Amino acid sequence: MSDNIIDVKDLVKVYGSEVGNKVLRGLSFQIKKGEFISIIGPSGSGKSTLLNILGALDSPTNGKVMIKGEEIGSLSDSKQANFRNRNMGFVFQFHHLLPEFTALENVLIPSWIMDNKQSKEGESNLQRARQLLSLVGLSVFEDKIITKLSGGQKQRVAIARSLMNKPGIVYADEPTGNLDSETTDKIYELLRDINKELNTTFILVTHDRYLAARADRTIEIVDGKIRV
Amino acid sequence: MWFEFKVAWRFLKSGKTQSILILLGIAIGVSVQVFLGSLIGGLQQDLITQTVGSSPHITLLSEDQIPRPLITGMDGSGRIITFTGKDEGINRWQLLVDFLQQFPDITAVSPMIDGSGFAIRGEKTLPVLLRGVDIKNVDKIYELVDSVEEGKSNVSGNNILLGTEMAKELKLDINDVIQLKTSKGITDRFIVNGIFDLGSKDINNSWIFLSRQRAENFLNSRDKVSSIELQVNDVFTSNIIADQIVSSYSDIKAESWQRNNQSLLTALESQSSSSLVIQVFIIIAVTLGIASVLAVSVVQKSRQIGILKAMGTEKKRIGLIFLIEGALLGFSGAIIGAAFGVGLSKLFVNLVRNSAGEPLFPIQTDTVFILISISIATFAGMIAALIPARNSAKLKPVEVIRGV
Repeated sequence: MSDNIIDVKDLVKVYGSEVGNKVLRGLSFQIKKGEFISIIGPSGSGKSTLLNILGALDSPTNGKVMIKGEEIGSLSDSKQANFRNRNMGFVFQFHHLLPEFTALENVLIPSWIMDNKQSKEGESNLQRARQLLSLVGLSVFEDKIITKLSGGQKQRVAIARSLMNKPGIVYADEPTGNLDSETTDKIYELLRDINKELNTTFILVTHDRYLAARADRTIEIVDGKIRV
Repeated sequence: MWFEFKVAWRFLKSGKTQSILILLGIAIGVSVQVFLGSLIGGLQQDLITQTVGSSPHITLLSEDQIPRPLITGMDGSGRIITFTGKDEGINRWQLLVDFLQQFPDITAVSPMIDGSGFAIRGEKTLPVLLRGVDIKNVDKIYELVDSVEEGKSNVSGNNILLGTEMAKELKLDINDVIQLKTSKGITDRFIVNGIFDLGSKDINNSWIFLSRQRAENFLNSRDKVSSIELQVNDVFTSNIIADQIVSSYSDIKAESWQRNNQSLLTALESQSSSSLVIQVFIIIAVTLGIASVLAVSVVQKSRQIGILKAMGTEKKRIGLIFLIEGALLGFSGAIIGAAFGVGLSKLFVNLVRNSAGEPLFPIQTDTVFILISISIATFAGMIAALIPARNSAKLKPVEVIRGV
């Protein structure tokens, strides 16, 4: 058994039945636990598709994606859902928080999905959500409805949410894409701190070369292939 | 369920206008249903009370003396003897009354000696029905004592009770003397002890109550009664009880109100089924309303659905959110509607009155019926949510997350 948390072999993704729509043309790579990886590439290179497949949100046409020793493509829909809930955190470009809920509730949602019964753990979940919000510096906004927060604040709530179930991997797709450079720096520092403190694996998709360069390792994708 | 319930609740709350509008729609539907049901229920109950409330449910008579063969020959032929109607009446009726009193469902037993005759006062003569009764027994059927408008309800000796119409016609007052003549020509004088109003012009114009003992010799009906009138607990068991009596006493004929009022009952039944049809269409309209709101809601909330799925919510749990939304809408709309419907019924009873200021008829608000309406609406809400729930399950998180 290797210490690779992610093992990708000959990954191919084709959209539709036309041959021309080959988005990923045979990728192979490994990622170790606790690594901070950046994926870069021009738009349309297939980096978001790769992230979706790694996150079990999309399935590969060919090839194998092993995460924590589990071939996620072969899992049933509901098993994939459970796997995502327990092992992965997501931070999207447009934060994707639920506007019907407060900041604290949004952070709690992954734990609600995991533990439906709201038993004794409910209390400790609440504590954890509060800790995470204070970690991203938003303690005072706990009970604010999402729509009242600024773009940077929303993104920080999304980061807190992605960590709620103590996932092994956090996927971030252009998390700073629509933020100013000062906020971008803060968000990056935050992710880095969490990466070091909790030994969480981070996979960050970005087209910001400056940001990408600060990662442990960069995977560059051009035309559906890894550029070496 | 807790998580799905919470999300369903927030989704409904966030689309406030939409939720309130559909709630109103459901509430109006259910209130019409409750009001209509109560109105028709009350109307029917009132009609039945009017028909059988103060009248016998079953009348026992002696079997008609039908011609029957006395001696049957080997070849099936026989001599036919026909009885005349001279001996009509129920013999050994005391035994029959004892037998009837063993039925727990029979609430009133009143043996009657009836005979036709005439009431004569001065120049005027009116045809009458003389009814020999025990006041205590007949009161249980006709509520005679309470119906006496003037005088008392004493029929001992030569005291009689007669109706308001007859009193007007013959210009009679309490303690006036009146001459009665039977169909057999026997005449005697009686004293008016009370004047009653039994609610029917016919009866008020023709019935005269006297004591059974007096009727026995006045109408020459010793040891016999003409009929025995009965009331039963549940008016809709009159046929069954009538048949039970006949099966024990084959020489008795039992007429039930149900058989005598077949056309009324048929009318009531068709009224019930037409009200049912209206209610079914209301339910269908309510269901379609909920379905359309939820279908729109699935589209509106597709981003949220995608996010919840990305975070690991299973398909069936997303579907459950919409089922709960449907049930919540159906249930709360129905509660509001039921309250509104009951209020409407009460208002109707209080506003629509006859000239005397009394409610036209009582409206029955049947709790069981209302509870059934509420559960049907809740169930309809869930049925309505099925298609939107299926559509939500089909949504792929990637498609939602990719776009803004």
